Amino acid sequence: MRSNVRFLLWTVVALVGALALATIALHRGEQINTLWLVAAAVCTYALGYRFYSGFIAAKVLALDPQRATPAERLENGRDFLPTNKWVVFGHHFAAIAGPGPLVGPVLAAQFGYLPGTLWILVGAVFGGCVQDFVILLFSVRRDGKSLTEIAKEEVGRVGGVVAYASVISILVILLAVCALIVVNALKQSPWGTFTIAMTIPIALLMGVYLRRLRPGRVLETSAIGFVLVLAAIWGGQCVSQGPAVAKHFTMTAPAVAIAIIVYGFAASALPVWLLLAPRDYLSTFVKLGTIGLLALGIVVMHPTLHMPALTKFVDGTGPVFAGKVFPFAFITIACGAISGFHSLISSGTTPKLIRRETEIRLVGYGAMVAESMVAIMATVAACVLEPGTYFAINSPAGIAGQLPEKAASTISAWGFPVTASGMQALAQNVGEQTLFNRTGGAPAFAVGMAHIFSGSLGGQAVMALWYHFALMFEALFILTVLDAGTRVGRFMVQDALGHAWKPLGRTSWYPSVLATSGLIVGAWGYFLWQGVRDPLGGINSLWPLFGIANQLLAAVALCVATTIIIKMHRTKYMLVTLAPLAWLVIVTFTASWHKIFDPDPRIGFLAQARRLAAAGGSGRLIFNNWLDAIVTGALIVMVGLILVESLRQWFGILSGRKEAQTKESPFVMTRLAEEQV
Amino acid sequence: MKFLRLIRAVLREIFEEATYERFCVREGLGAGRESYAKFLEENVSSARSKLRCC
Repeated sequence: MRSNVRFLLWTVVALVGALALATIALHRGEQINTLWLVAAAVCTYALGYRFYSGFIAAKVLALDPQRATPAERLENGRDFLPTNKWVVFGHHFAAIAGPGPLVGPVLAAQFGYLPGTLWILVGAVFGGCVQDFVILLFSVRRDGKSLTEIAKEEVGRVGGVVAYASVISILVILLAVCALIVVNALKQSPWGTFTIAMTIPIALLMGVYLRRLRPGRVLETSAIGFVLVLAAIWGGQCVSQGPAVAKHFTMTAPAVAIAIIVYGFAASALPVWLLLAPRDYLSTFVKLGTIGLLALGIVVMHPTLHMPALTKFVDGTGPVFAGKVFPFAFITIACGAISGFHSLISSGTTPKLIRRETEIRLVGYGAMVAESMVAIMATVAACVLEPGTYFAINSPAGIAGQLPEKAASTISAWGFPVTASGMQALAQNVGEQTLFNRTGGAPAFAVGMAHIFSGSLGGQAVMALWYHFALMFEALFILTVLDAGTRVGRFMVQDALGHAWKPLGRTSWYPSVLATSGLIVGAWGYFLWQGVRDPLGGINSLWPLFGIANQLLAAVALCVATTIIIKMHRTKYMLVTLAPLAWLVIVTFTASWHKIFDPDPRIGFLAQARRLAAAGGSGRLIFNNWLDAIVTGALIVMVGLILVESLRQWFGILSGRKEAQTKESPFVMTRLAEEQV
Repeated sequence: MKFLRLIRAVLREIFEEATYERFCVREGLGAGRESYAKFLEENVSSARSKLRCC
């Protein structure tokens, strides 16, 4: 009886999911409600989790509840600690959910809501969740080792070096693109700039409060920090309304970029407890609350999607970024579908907390499902806007036009009506001077979120507060990634340089700290500066570069995972990781080829360099395009290297020339009580 | 009630209050400025693993 009920229940879930997917895929010319997207996502994730992850857990990975995890065997009360599965789930989700799943889907919405939504659902269920799941297990079975260590042991020395180089590349490009999003959100915005600037003294205050007044009371301190941030948002309104004060916070894009570069350097060199840790707590506090609030807002308000299912920009002529829907939609949305960066978290702190192997399914696969849902919410936030408004915000001045009237007429001519006066009224509603040319995704997401909430909670009167709350929320996320990433990058460079000269590897030796911080900040700062100076808005060049780097890291992780699956004599199931790997390789290679060699100057770096040279353009801009082409080429060479090395391993093992020997830790029977198993 | 307890446990872990409590037990220290300063010192050395994803 019970199994019949279960069968009936899952049949209903499958039918509702199919109906919702058919509705969002087949409706043309009519606006649909967001609840269809939510229903399609929830049913797809439920089916994926119940059946596909169940299949992987039982057949491919053979999770063993009797096998002691490193958290149990190596328990030290510090890094290694058997922890409740829901606690690890929360911990893991807080680490993997960043600004990526919010920004990527907003940018990809230029193709319409359909391509992004389908890629998020399919990519997550068959790619991202699988990657996070298998890498987490393989790290658990190797005493919590990192991806680079596992790659070195299982794929070979080349695998280790490529993994290391990929991590550094992705860090530098990620930090640059993150900083660029903040620059585009804060330029000419005294309210936003004041609010974000205030988060720095608030974080410092929290650091001192935690260390001196209430040691260890992090939740209490974060709650106080949150109240202060809300006060800063309110204060930002006062600042923006007083011309004498507002002028001090009305900054150009280059000025905001310089401020962020200086901030990144300071955050990397200052003691962790003073700035980085409290900002991380504050960001997590706001993140968890706001994501919950947004989910609630979407379900309760269930607004209508105004963006069509497909726009004409699937042909590659889009203003937000150039390039056809294939392959560019698939590198634009990385986090939310599949993100290589997650493999670093899955082989970082999380494997050291897992109490039971069987709990890895919930943590690895389940947390990625939750992040993918965040990406769906971002798609909703972008697509509830009128398409004209969306394109007015996200189109760079170099394409739409510098003056509001010109931009409005250009965008209207694309078939998405918008007026300069309408945009001016919207800008006034959200407390901005203008919303034209606010590329980067963050402002569009903020307007969308404010639009959803203002439908009931306070109406138009508080739309500006919601907008700036959303902007603060994203910028806080991003700056946390920026300072934590800069610091991690610094540690990695110090590790590498320490092999050449030992003092350089000492993380407490200040000359080394300053030099390596300068190196990392200089690297991402250069790309940021390039993005700020780019007449096409920067995002057009940098976001695809970031997407390629991120998917490259996912390819590295999936190469490692496929190698291990073959070594485990589970070759008949290797498609579980090989299929997403093959897809990523096709996507990454195609996208890289276009970014380097495409004859359209808006897409190909070399074509753009040639165009600039022919027009007598600046030598720096020409050099930047060459640099981007070389970086893209280097990334693709790295994918090629690890692929060749992996293929060598696979054919060696499958032909019997090589012994299939994994570097798993020996089996140890768990000593945890039966009921805990 | 059990659900609320679980949420509290998750938050205490994410915000490292539980980590600090375990540190105090392990080191035989009471909660206070000195023990928290030591805890922060130890945390600084493990800060490299605290990656935040994009």
